[in-house]
Amino acid sequence: MSDAVIFDRGYRGYEGPRKGRAGAFWAVVREGIRRELGLRRKAKSKVLPWLLITISLISMAVVVGLHWAVQRFGVEQLLADQLPSYGQYFDTASTISLLFIALAAPQLLIPDRREGVLSIYFSRPLRPIDYLGAKYTALGFLIFGFFLVPEVALHISFAALSPDGFFSYLGANLDILWKIVLVSFVFFVGYASVAFGISALMNRNGLASAVFLGVMIMLTPIVDAVVRLASFSGAKYVSLLALQDQPRIVRDWVFGISTGDYVATRSGLEPWMSLATIGVIFLVVSAAVWQRYRRAS
Amino acid sequence: MTDLIRTSDLTHRYGDVVALDRLDLSIPAGTIGLVGANGAGKTTLIRVLMGMLTPTTGAASVLGHDVASHLVEVRSRVGYMPEGACLPAAQTAADFVAFAAELAGIPAGDARKRSSEILYLVGLHEERFRYLGDFSTGMLQRVKLAQSIVHDPELAFLDEPASGLDPEGREQMLHLITRLKDFGISVVFSSHILEDIERTCEWVVMLDGGRLVRSAPIGSIGHEDALTVEITGDPAGLAAWLTGHGAQVETAGSVLHVTGGDDPFILVRDGLAQTGVGLRRMGQRARTLEEAFIEDAKRRGEA
Repeated sequence: MSDAVIFDRGYRGYEGPRKGRAGAFWAVVREGIRRELGLRRKAKSKVLPWLLITISLISMAVVVGLHWAVQRFGVEQLLADQLPSYGQYFDTASTISLLFIALAAPQLLIPDRREGVLSIYFSRPLRPIDYLGAKYTALGFLIFGFFLVPEVALHISFAALSPDGFFSYLGANLDILWKIVLVSFVFFVGYASVAFGISALMNRNGLASAVFLGVMIMLTPIVDAVVRLASFSGAKYVSLLALQDQPRIVRDWVFGISTGDYVATRSGLEPWMSLATIGVIFLVVSAAVWQRYRRAS
Repeated sequence: MTDLIRTSDLTHRYGDVVALDRLDLSIPAGTIGLVGANGAGKTTLIRVLMGMLTPTTGAASVLGHDVASHLVEVRSRVGYMPEGACLPAAQTAADFVAFAAELAGIPAGDARKRSSEILYLVGLHEERFRYLGDFSTGMLQRVKLAQSIVHDPELAFLDEPASGLDPEGREQMLHLITRLKDFGISVVFSSHILEDIERTCEWVVMLDGGRLVRSAPIGSIGHEDALTVEITGDPAGLAAWLTGHGAQVETAGSVLHVTGGDDPFILVRDGLAQTGVGLRRMGQRARTLEEAFIEDAKRRGEA
């Protein structure tokens, strides 16, 4: 046997498929998901996202378990109305997803800019709109997971508990599914567009997370005070700036429930105005972010 | 044969500053050196050719594709190594180079294989699972080179690839760049270190203040229609004889640089015979790229 050693394996060209712009888009989506979850990164990057995922799963298990327990002990009529159902569970999921978005959106956008990686992205068949769309999509996958997985688990457990039988319940409650998907989408767009807008302007992840949470949490009491004290005409429309409330108002509207005392509702504004506000904020912020990245490309 | 790069009347302005001034270029495939002082417009030219900057006026085509109208096609077939920092500290070399391949449309499985192969090629196989934040400058430059060729481009734009490297690292980088031609990858390599260009490139594009000074094969710049004559004794007599017969003579000690006349060789031969001066050596004058650059820039300044 020869004892020759290969020191240089040389270079091989690539003859395989090239997926072009679509391939680049999905590469950014996959990389975005890995980054959000801290996968293929140091251990400290994994702590916060997986902590939030664990909290989400535990809260889901508790709610499903309570429904099972109530059903089993036969006090469903007494207690079932007090347990969170589809609409109410969005409060828990939206709080967790708000924290997750605060963590993930800066992580998705800021390091690429700060470390100069954008020059690599935009030397490939990828346009700024693809880049931003892929980042939204990556965040959307996980945020939808936060909303959809517990809601679908609730749906399945309700079906399993139903005295009418599993499939009868599913058949009779098909409308729940589109409501869950629609409301999840509204929550995602309502929160993520603000987080992306802030992340596009800042260069430090922690600061961007803090500003986002500050804006979402503090705007509600500020807007409430303005609406209560203001005497100018049209003051009630300021209530639409309570950004954290708007997806919840839409949720109440879609599920036909009332879960809280929201400033916009108290001001007499119709729920569709909340939906329109979310849409307008999404469009305005997305256009501004796109402009910023178009220049950077 | 299609030009590697062609530009016509290409101008780019940053506000009032003209970064590129009416460039008309036609460059063949191979290893191309892009030379100029800092601020000459090298990086701007590369960024315009990559479609990252839109020219103020004029047009550019790369690999036969118009950059403005076929941006995706151009970017699918070229690689780019930026001058500045461009690597994420939180990723391993293997992950990032694989991701760079995926960004060029290569499927994930193939991308990981290519990443491993290319990191081996640039000498980082052992370190490929280390985080980029822990890499030295020389290793980062190699990763930057690896990501620029991992998708097997036809052309790689390398912006100051040897900057910040120690002499050994620079040597290795130049060696790698020289090898790219053997892999079928044309290279546009910008540098303000003329010696690096002279050693690695076949064609040189010289820029000064955004204007084209020269675009020609390296060989044609090194030689000119002039002779260097070293003699024994006083050169004054020979210089006077040559000047009297229509030549231009520059004297530096016992060395004369002779240009002009119908044939400088014949003229110098006759001059030596007539004046009886002893000859030590005679040859065609070879200019370094640096001398050519300075002379061209000076000529442009005077014009």
